[in-house]
Amino acid sequence: MAFLIPRRGMRRRTVLRGLVGGAAATIGLPVLDAMLDGNGAALAQGGPLPTRFGLWFWGNGIRREHWTPDGVGAGWQPRAELAPLVEAGLRDWLSVVTGLEIKTASHPHHSGMTGILTGARYHQVGETRDTIVSTFAHQSVDQIAADHVAQQAPGLPYRSLEAAVCRFRGTDEGTTFQHLSHNGPNDVNPSEYSPRRMYDRLFGQGPGGPQLDLARRSVLDAVTGRIRALQQTVGARDARRLDRHFESVRAIERRLSAAPAECRVPDRPGDYPDVEGREQIAEKNAAHSALMAYALACDFTRVFSVMFSCAGSGVVVWPAGARNSLHQICHDEAVPQPTVHAAVVYIMQQLAVFLRTLRETPEGDGNLLDRCAILCTTELSEGNTHTNDEFPVLIAGRGGGRLRGGRHVRVDRANASLAGLSALRGAGLPVEHFGHGPGEVRDVLGELFV
Amino acid sequence: MKTPRWMTALLVGVALALAACTGEMSAGYAPDEADADGGPDGRVGEPEPGEPEPAPGEPEPGEPEPGEPEPDPGEPEPDPDDPLAGLPPFAPAAPTLHRLTEAQYHNAIAALFGPGIEIPPLEPDTPLHGFASVGAAELTVSALAAEQYEAAAQAVIDQVFGDRERRMALVGCEPADPGCRAGFVADFGRRVWRRPLTAGEVMAIDGVAADLGVRLNDVWRGLGFAVSALLQSPDFLFRVERGEDAPGGRRYTDFEMASRLSFLIWNSIPDDALLDAAAEGRLTDDAGLAVEVDRLLADPRAWDGIGGFFAEYLGLPALDRLDKDPEAFPQMSATLGPAMRAEIEAAIRRLVFEEDADLRRLLTTRTTEIDGELAALYQLAPVEGPTRVELPPESPRGGLFGMAGVLALNAHRTVSSPTHRGKYVQNKVMCFDIPPPPPGVATSLDGVGEDQGPLTTRQKLEQHRADPTCAACHRHMDPIGLGLEHFDAIGAYRTTEDGLPIDARSALDGDAFEGPRQLGVLLAERPEFAACVARQIFRHGTGHLEARAEERAVRLLGDRFAREGHRVQALVRALALDDAFRRAGPPDDTLPDGMGDGMGDDMGEMPGEGG
Repeated sequence: MAFLIPRRGMRRRTVLRGLVGGAAATIGLPVLDAMLDGNGAALAQGGPLPTRFGLWFWGNGIRREHWTPDGVGAGWQPRAELAPLVEAGLRDWLSVVTGLEIKTASHPHHSGMTGILTGARYHQVGETRDTIVSTFAHQSVDQIAADHVAQQAPGLPYRSLEAAVCRFRGTDEGTTFQHLSHNGPNDVNPSEYSPRRMYDRLFGQGPGGPQLDLARRSVLDAVTGRIRALQQTVGARDARRLDRHFESVRAIERRLSAAPAECRVPDRPGDYPDVEGREQIAEKNAAHSALMAYALACDFTRVFSVMFSCAGSGVVVWPAGARNSLHQICHDEAVPQPTVHAAVVYIMQQLAVFLRTLRETPEGDGNLLDRCAILCTTELSEGNTHTNDEFPVLIAGRGGGRLRGGRHVRVDRANASLAGLSALRGAGLPVEHFGHGPGEVRDVLGELFV
Repeated sequence: MKTPRWMTALLVGVALALAACTGEMSAGYAPDEADADGGPDGRVGEPEPGEPEPAPGEPEPGEPEPGEPEPDPGEPEPDPDDPLAGLPPFAPAAPTLHRLTEAQYHNAIAALFGPGIEIPPLEPDTPLHGFASVGAAELTVSALAAEQYEAAAQAVIDQVFGDRERRMALVGCEPADPGCRAGFVADFGRRVWRRPLTAGEVMAIDGVAADLGVRLNDVWRGLGFAVSALLQSPDFLFRVERGEDAPGGRRYTDFEMASRLSFLIWNSIPDDALLDAAAEGRLTDDAGLAVEVDRLLADPRAWDGIGGFFAEYLGLPALDRLDKDPEAFPQMSATLGPAMRAEIEAAIRRLVFEEDADLRRLLTTRTTEIDGELAALYQLAPVEGPTRVELPPESPRGGLFGMAGVLALNAHRTVSSPTHRGKYVQNKVMCFDIPPPPPGVATSLDGVGEDQGPLTTRQKLEQHRADPTCAACHRHMDPIGLGLEHFDAIGAYRTTEDGLPIDARSALDGDAFEGPRQLGVLLAERPEFAACVARQIFRHGTGHLEARAEERAVRLLGDRFAREGHRVQALVRALALDDAFRRAGPPDDTLPDGMGDGMGDDMGEMPGEGG
């Protein structure tokens, strides 16, 4: 017997070829079309097409002189680092926000990451060393979205999906530097690095059927029983950790009980090992982008995050001419840091691939990117100085018609949490406020919205 | 302006180094290498000049966190003759759940079902404070991990229960017989959960087997799924520790001690003999515990635990994916990094298990084990396969810091890094944390002195270090690394850098040295090494960063390690028998705030936030 667990009841009508691994591939037939009404803008059983919330993250910041666009409002012109997105025809699906500042900055290496993603300071793990090890004190913005989506659409197969592209897994300074999506302190939603394993997770095939489902349900039932029993005997801290274990097992049970999903299955992607010491960055990015587009189009989830590279990533961006890790050259390269700049341009090309993949996935009368609100950001402004002002933020997607796109919004040291709350509301989620203490906001950047 | 905490640490570190110079703590040390210069026994330890200004508007990194207890101003000044004076009395840490690490999961599956079981990939560990075991005591089972554990359990039962011979070897009787089935669940469950199952637990798991046996019309499949339930239960995936009341305070139970011992020494689950010892109450008894510690240490599996500790401590797994610029280093290959790791691990294995020797010899040894690729890198006579060799007298190598793995790990992709090498020595030999460079400080060596023509890394660093802001930390790192400049980014010997002659004469706190041989001798004479190894194995073995109330225990463990001849087996024995390893505090009922408040309910500020 194979070990892969089948996606129960999934019908595999058509296999589309050429999507996975192809940067600009297209899903031929919109997956949700079968469920659309005659006008192509709403589901046949009522209700609009879903809006999705996303997070696309890269590590080590940008170079301001090449990042900040010229001009504001609709008439902005990109400089070199944003040019790849405009050249990819994404201008109308993209707004740039400049001038934001993290209001909860207290430590140069840790604050930016938790500031932009939680609107709060970090939580320190262990206090008897001088090296700070940190984690998120609060859930990250994607999980706030996931909480709301879970209320609105409780039957989705996955609460959220997390992918990572570059293989560098972070420094030993805590989960802040190793993971993106957090539920709380040291409670992470780890990203899947391998496109092949992501495929297996979503579309894995094997002998299935009602017998196996029955057995799995019985086993999982025994497991959740054990978790609940154990919770009665441990301290509150461990009981909370077991709560997460319980929820994780319950998610499998829920998928087993859910109505059969109807989705076509793409080709299984490769694993993209290094070739002659060179990481196959573009290939992995294209494959992950295609799989995420599939997962969204199939409505497996409405919340996703892509960690292109982690905070402080040591990825060697060799296609941009780098010979040392990006983190290292951020520290070491003399200003104006031409190699760091080239690496940022390359990373924005990879973001363009992701966004184009969504845009080229038709859905109803539009495309997938029309119905996403995606916060694209990093953990600091400039790597060499670790600054937390002029924080780099892009808001991509049209949010199902809520976001107008194509703007450069210039603010004067406004709270960076505005980015998170704007993206959440852009996805149509009724989130009242975002952030904590000095990082808290209740408003959005109005200019982003229609 | 308050002194930042890291700056205080620098000063304390220097003070400790000075205090340690009295030298009565270390047993007499005879280095492998007799020809090294010892240098005068003087130390330079003046306080730092100046301190870097924090960026405007940012609180200082060392600002105490809200909720963190301020040091008692009335605390007496430490008595220089008593290194433990001023430390709080010992109090044991709270018991907790330790999730199995990736290696522990694999080792457990092999121990339970025999070798050769293949399981799909598990989420990689999230190490904290240097160790996967510390991360495992903090993290929990994510949605992805739960799916992976289900798939892994399914893979196990497919392979074991889908194979007639294998399943009969495991179960030993026909599960069609309810007595056989329940007996197996009870016996095998004890190994999987590492404690006896209660009657109710046996009934619940056996119920899965019985029910599915009927409904699937296959008693073996039914039993397989019961095993899957055992493997997905928190009782297997976590090492459950709660402690129990006992005379003299709370302690870990016999069965909890069985797991603490076996994961410390084997990085795997207890065997039946250890569980039997627990059942007989021998693991809460000093003599009984010592017998089992010695038995576990004498078993070949002890290398899995102790070797695994050293690998993490020294950062060796990174050598498996050593990434050096292929253009700059034609010797680079996919197998070179692993060969470097093997050399270091072979030396540790020989000293710890084969010879039960003074661990300080690791810093000076001239016996090493290399393969053909490494022999070529070292410009030694060719060998085939891993071969133990004596370094010739003229070899510049010797000891840990002459091994290519350590030199290559602490270098950039194209060039050496005296700073990283020095930081590694401070961090790994002295347990001295040096913070990352403050923000806004130019760390670039590009263009340094370019108007003077080409410069070596040493010359650039020396100019760089003229800046007092940089010097505050770099003076603790660069001089050590500069003494290793005869080795390039891949750990190969060189006499020139970009055509300029290398000058590797340097000093460690005033003691002149040149090259890894002399550095190793100097470091081996210093008491910090013993203290540091003990501190690291404490973190690894207990699964947490030592609390202030454990500092006393950590220091005493280091002293004992030194007193008993720096023998790692004795250190493991001392740790296993220590109150800090056997005593449990009350359960931790404190909750880190901030979870689950995304629906708009502000939980407010939390204690312990970064400062």
